[in-house]
Formats: sequence, structure tokens, C-alpha cells
Amino acid sequence: MSVLSRARLIIWIRRSVQVAVLGLFVYLLTANRPADGAAPTAAVDFFFDLDPLVMIGAWLSTHTLEGISLLGLLVLGVTLVFGRVFCGWFCPFGTLDNAVSSLRNQYRRVVKRTEEFSRWQRAKYFVLIALLVMAALGAQWIGVLDPFSLLYRSLSLTVLPAMDIAMRTVANDVYLADPHLGALHLRDLTEPVYTWWQERVAATELRVFSGTSAIFLVFTVALLLNLVRNRFWCRYLCPLGGLLGLFAFRPLLRLTSDPEACDSCYQCTLACPAAAQPEKPGEWLATECFGCWNCVGSCGNQGLDFKWVSPLTRTSSGSVDIGKRRALASVVGGVATLSMMRITPAANAKTFEPDLIRPPGARAEADFLQRCVKCGLCMQTCPSGGLQPTWAEAGLEGLWSPMLVPAIGWCEFECHACGQVCPTEAIAPLPLDEKKTVKIGLAVFDTTRCLPFAYGRECIVCEEHCPVPDKAITFELREVTTREGDVLTLKVPRVDPERCTGCGICETKCVFKDLAAVRVVSANEDRHPDNQPILVGGGQGGESYGY
Amino acid sequence: MFESTRRDFLKTSALVGGGLMTADFAALAEAALAADPLPAMSIARWDESLLADADLVAAAVGLTEAAVASLGGMDRFVGEGDTVWIKPNIGWNRRPELAANTNPDVVGTLVRLCKAAGAKTVKVGDHPCQPARQAYRNSGIAKTVEAAGGKMVYLDKKRFVDMPLGGEFLDEWPVYKEVTEADLVINVPVLKHHSLTKCSIAMKNYMGVIGGNRSAWHQNMDACVTDITRFMKPRLTVLDAVRVLTDHGPQGGNPDDVDVRGIVAAGTDIVAVDAFGASLMGHGPDDISYIAAAAAQGLGTHDFASLKPVERILS
Repeated sequence: MSVLSRARLIIWIRRSVQVAVLGLFVYLLTANRPADGAAPTAAVDFFFDLDPLVMIGAWLSTHTLEGISLLGLLVLGVTLVFGRVFCGWFCPFGTLDNAVSSLRNQYRRVVKRTEEFSRWQRAKYFVLIALLVMAALGAQWIGVLDPFSLLYRSLSLTVLPAMDIAMRTVANDVYLADPHLGALHLRDLTEPVYTWWQERVAATELRVFSGTSAIFLVFTVALLLNLVRNRFWCRYLCPLGGLLGLFAFRPLLRLTSDPEACDSCYQCTLACPAAAQPEKPGEWLATECFGCWNCVGSCGNQGLDFKWVSPLTRTSSGSVDIGKRRALASVVGGVATLSMMRITPAANAKTFEPDLIRPPGARAEADFLQRCVKCGLCMQTCPSGGLQPTWAEAGLEGLWSPMLVPAIGWCEFECHACGQVCPTEAIAPLPLDEKKTVKIGLAVFDTTRCLPFAYGRECIVCEEHCPVPDKAITFELREVTTREGDVLTLKVPRVDPERCTGCGICETKCVFKDLAAVRVVSANEDRHPDNQPILVGGGQGGESYGY
Repeated sequence: MFESTRRDFLKTSALVGGGLMTADFAALAEAALAADPLPAMSIARWDESLLADADLVAAAVGLTEAAVASLGGMDRFVGEGDTVWIKPNIGWNRRPELAANTNPDVVGTLVRLCKAAGAKTVKVGDHPCQPARQAYRNSGIAKTVEAAGGKMVYLDKKRFVDMPLGGEFLDEWPVYKEVTEADLVINVPVLKHHSLTKCSIAMKNYMGVIGGNRSAWHQNMDACVTDITRFMKPRLTVLDAVRVLTDHGPQGGNPDDVDVRGIVAAGTDIVAVDAFGASLMGHGPDDISYIAAAAAQGLGTHDFASLKPVERILS
């Protein structure tokens, strides 16, 4: 087989792998939907287990490997041997970037100038260094730019809900209007599709997320940048690409070129999505190359090929010089960014944000932020849809981490899916019986709204929904006189703070939909003794949340 | 308490309550009078002395079959090719043992009886207070229904349509369209305590077919529950009192609050079935205000004994 046809075969295989992996990513995302109450399969966080950036970041920030998958080592090992094939063959976000770039190249003449190596490609290493420094100082901001986190979060919190709304609008409109021609009903066509969609892709109930325009903006901009340069994200910005680049400095499989065969046509340059300089014999950039084989397949003279080379050999590869001063500047940048994020009272536990209700099993805030990679798995699996991405509640450091918004949905008593799927155990996977006793907040009555208090009307809705078997909401009987002069005996609710877990279903179900008359705040959360107003005997201050 | 026969009751209520009654109810009463005098209510009990050791699955199946058979069998209600909607109480994400939801074997048996009577489709659905998928599964109902050839329906928030209730209090309210399109709706409540109304039985079970801001109904529960009952025109009610939730209802959660009673009752008069259920919890016919209100409005009798229920004791 000639070099050319072998390259074409390999490119074809590579494309199939890319599509399959992207498919697997989407499948695992949908497999993480709230289902019949069975725990989601353990494999739903597979991509995050595999992510070496998450592994190293979490290890740096928590100073422990407890609860962190070591599968990332496998990816690093593969990179040492084959270079950044992870970027070229596997990464689903890379595949999307690849797809948008291909679109660009169909409509635009690819010119040599934009496909040559640019020193701006070093930016991803600076981003990586800054993020790792921040991680070492306890701020896990890697998830904001990690490609798996970025893709998962964007798909599950913005793209899937948009598709869900489209499906629901069409299916429900067709169902209710029931257009038909004789016995031929259009709904007979749409209903099975809709059922399949609800049972296999989305969920029974629509879940939508607040503050997601910023998430969507980042996602869209990252994809649209591919219109400026081929695989812009992967070339210039991706911190995971940067990490793998560091491990790809001298792979065993390297691009070799035959200078005799080169007639400087630059077809390889135009074909290379990574700007890895395949056109310069001996100066091919292993740290930039995605191992996609496009260059080999583009050389009509068959002058390029990937060959096995001893790791001791320095030939046939150039290098990207990050520069000591620039590296140092990145370190300083990381420290500065982190410090700026922390100049708030809440970040220093001077105050507690009442709305920042973390899911049960969430570690104490500092520990939680060291682990949470803002991937969105917990929000994607939450059956009530109450887990939402933060915007300002947890500061910039905790951007897009999960919080319970009881006005939207509550923490279901018989469920701990979020803790089961969290890839870094920022939410600890508690046994269900233990989870049911964890306090994440406290219900507080607004007596200026609550019907029995403020309007002399019956209600009890909060009490009937309280899932604690012996009820954390009880009644005091109170006589009121109506304007007609009738005397009514009302059940006036009261919260038992020793029993209330802060699950929030009382707030979700409250008859007031604009601003509930019973609201849950973060007070009394087990994870922060300083945020506990209620004095109880025994272990006052709650259990230490070290897990 | 007053003693009277069912025939007497219908006559009396037709005369006395005439002004309150809708034309439909008067017509129904006439039709019932004209029809074959099949029993209006039946009660099947598991032998109390054997209850402690009873297999509750077999008991629930047997009691349901017996209660329906005593009424004249499912053929009386289900025609060939009918679509039936069975409305159990699946309000909560709770195990069957906690009696917050209707017994899954009672529901499964009804599905089987409907299919055997010729129903084309038997749909089962509720509008749970907690996630429907988890509630349907943990209640055990999805499993028994699907095994019997029924279809669990997940209610879609957008498919509640404003319906003219024409009630004494509510003119209209969103009701689930698919339920109203069924040929027959079988109301299958579980008997349980309720913190507002003392007990929740069949009429209150209709809260699972409505949408809108349901929480608001608690401000005038008696009027709302009777209005939806009138709109639903109940034809068959099957009461599950195999396990009864006696406290911390309607959601429960504590096994100590559950009594095993081993009773299934069925009837064509939903008010009578509710009154019977209330009596099992120690409440007289006027103790539960929405039952008293329903009786006063002529939706049925709260003197269930007047219907001379057919009683059977199984073991």
C-alpha cells in the first residue's frame, strides 16, 4: 500500500473514531437524564474520569487523589507515545471544532498565511500554567475552560433544553390542535417521536436553567472562532491541549519528511489544522500536531510519513519556546486572578450567601471549590431541575458550580443522583439513608405572605409536601376572626429547625409563584458550623464535613 | 344516621336536591333507577384474624377481583374497544409499604380486568407532587401496570386545558385533556390521612387530573373537590384500603403510620365510597366536610350503608 492510500485509510478511520466518540459523549450525556429512579450508570462521567487535566487539577488543589480517577494517566501515556492524538482523534469538542473548521474551508480559500505556525499558539500554555497555579492555590477554575466541562455544560444546560423546547412545542401544539385528514391524524406521527425523545433523550419534564446565556455565549464564541482560524480553540486556547502538548514534546511516532520530495507546494500546510509546520523538514512541531495524518494524505510526492523514532532522537522535530519570562508572567497572572476573585467578604467566610444552597453531600465551600469542575453532570441528572449553575452567588471562583434554587425545583428526598455522578466527589456519593439526614439549608416563613399568617386563609401545602417522615413543618392552631365575624381555627405552620433539611420542596410548591411565602436559605447547612443559628445539644456545629 | 334504601335515596335526592343538581346527575339517577338493579357498592375484606400473616400481594389481587365481581364484573363498565384511564394515587415517590400511593397490585389487577373486559387501551397516570418517573417506579405501579398490558402515561404540563367545570365555586380549571377523552375513568384512591381534610380518598384523588396552581385549592378544598367531582362524572370508584396511612398524610414516610386493613371497596357512588373510607378511619359521615358538602350537593350519599353494599370476606 502506498503512503498516500495508507494515509487516506487512516484519515477515514480517524474520522469514524471522531464521530463515534462524539456520539458516545452525547449518548452518555443523555444517559445521565433523570430516569426511573434507578441510579444513573457509573459510566456517565467516563469522559471526566479520562481527563488528565481534571485529574492533575484536582490533585493539585486538594493535595490528594482521594475520589479522583487515575484513568487520565492512560491519556498521558498515549500522548507520550503518539503525541496529541487525543486532540485529533478523540476529543469530542475538538471534533466539533473540526466540523466548524471544515465548514469554513468549504466556503473560504485556505491561504498559507493563516495556516502557518503563529507564536500566539503559545497562549494555551500560558492559560494552562495560570490555571494550574490557581489549582495549586485551591481554586479549581480548570472546569471553566476544560473542553469536556465546556462541552458537557453547554450541551446539557443550553443546547439540550433548546431542543427540548422545540420538540415539546411542536408535539404539544400538534397534539392539542389535532390536525387530521379523515382518520389520518398528524399526532399519530409526532407522538411516538415525542415519547422516544422524553424517554431516551431528554426527560419527562422540561428542565431549563438560569443564567445560561453566558454559558451559551462562551460555547458559541469558541465554535465561531474556528471561522477565523482552523481549530482556533485547540490551537490557541485549550488548556488540555496545552497539557498534552507538554507531554508530546518527543513522541515515538513522529512526522518525517523527505526534503528531496518537497517542491514547496504547501499543500501539507494548508491541510494541517494544527499549524504544526509539516512543511519545514526537521522543524515539525510535535507539541502542536494532532496526529490527524492530513498532511501525509495531502503530499502528492509522498514525501511525508509518520514513523517510529527512538525517544532519544532529537531529529525531525522543532520546539515551541514558551520562554521563562512568559511562563513566570503566567504564574503571576494565575496568582493575581485568583486573588482578585477572592477579594469578597463571602470568599473569606465573613458572610454567607443565603441563596447558595449546595446539594447534599457537597463538601465545605473551600473544599467544594477545589473539586468542582463545573461540568454540569449534577444539574443534568437532577430530577426536579432545581440544581442550577451559579452566576454571582459563589463568586467568580465558583462560577457555574451547582446550587439548589428551590423556586425552580427541590432536592428530592429519595434521590442522590448528583452525588453519584459527580466526577470529582465535590458532592460526596453518600448512601441514600445518610443523604436524607443531611441539612443543606433551612426553611423560613415570610409571615407577610404566608396565607394563614397574613391573610387568615387555610393552606398547609408546605406541610403536606415536607418529605421528612415526622414532618419538619408542624402546625400551631390559631383562631382568627373573618371580616364577616366568623371565627376560624387555622393551622399556622412552623418549621422545626432540628428536622428541616432545607430540601426546598415547600418553597417550590408554595402557592405564591413570584416569591414564595416559605423560602429556603443556606442557614443551618451541615457543612458550615459558623452558618448554624440553631443551638442543638450534643455535636453542636454539625458533623465535620471531611468525608 | 338515617336508614334508607338506595332507591329511596335516589328518589329523595332527586326531589329534595333537584335545584342543586345538574341535569346530568338527574339523568344518571334516572338511568340508574331504570337499569337492572345491580349493586351500587361492594366491600371485600380479608379475614381479619388472618391478616397478620397474609400475603398482601395475593390479598390485594383477590380483594380487587372480588370487589369488582360483586358489582357485576368489569363488563358492566367497560365496553369492547374502550379506552380506559385508571387514576390511582401516585402522588409521591414512596415505596408501596408506606401507603402514600395506591397499592400497585390493586391497580395492576384493574388493568388486567379492563383488558379482559375488552378495553383496547388501558392508560394509567397521575400528576405526582414529586418526579413522575421516580414516583411511578418506586410506587411499584409502573411494574404491575406494564405486566398487565397497561400503559403508564406521564402527564405533560402543556396538555392541561381549561375546561368548563360549571361548579358552584369554580367556573373553569385546567384538566388533563387525555383523561377527559377516555371512555371510562376509574378512580382508584388509597385511603390515607390528610393534614387539611383529615382524610384523602376518592374525590380528593381527582386533584391528580388537574393542572394550574393546584396549591391554591387548599384555601377552599371542599368547594374545589366537589366541583371537580361533579365535572368528572364518576362511574366507578375502587378504594384501596389494603394498607392505610393513618398519620402524617398525605405523604407519610414512616412505616409506623401504616395500618394493614386488607379491604378493597368498589362502588358507583363516589361519595358513598368516600364515606365508607372515612368510616374505616373512625370518621362519621359529617366529620369530613368535603364529603358532607358533596352529599348536600347531591353528588351521592354519605350514608353508604343505604346502598346495601355486597360484602365478601376472603381468606
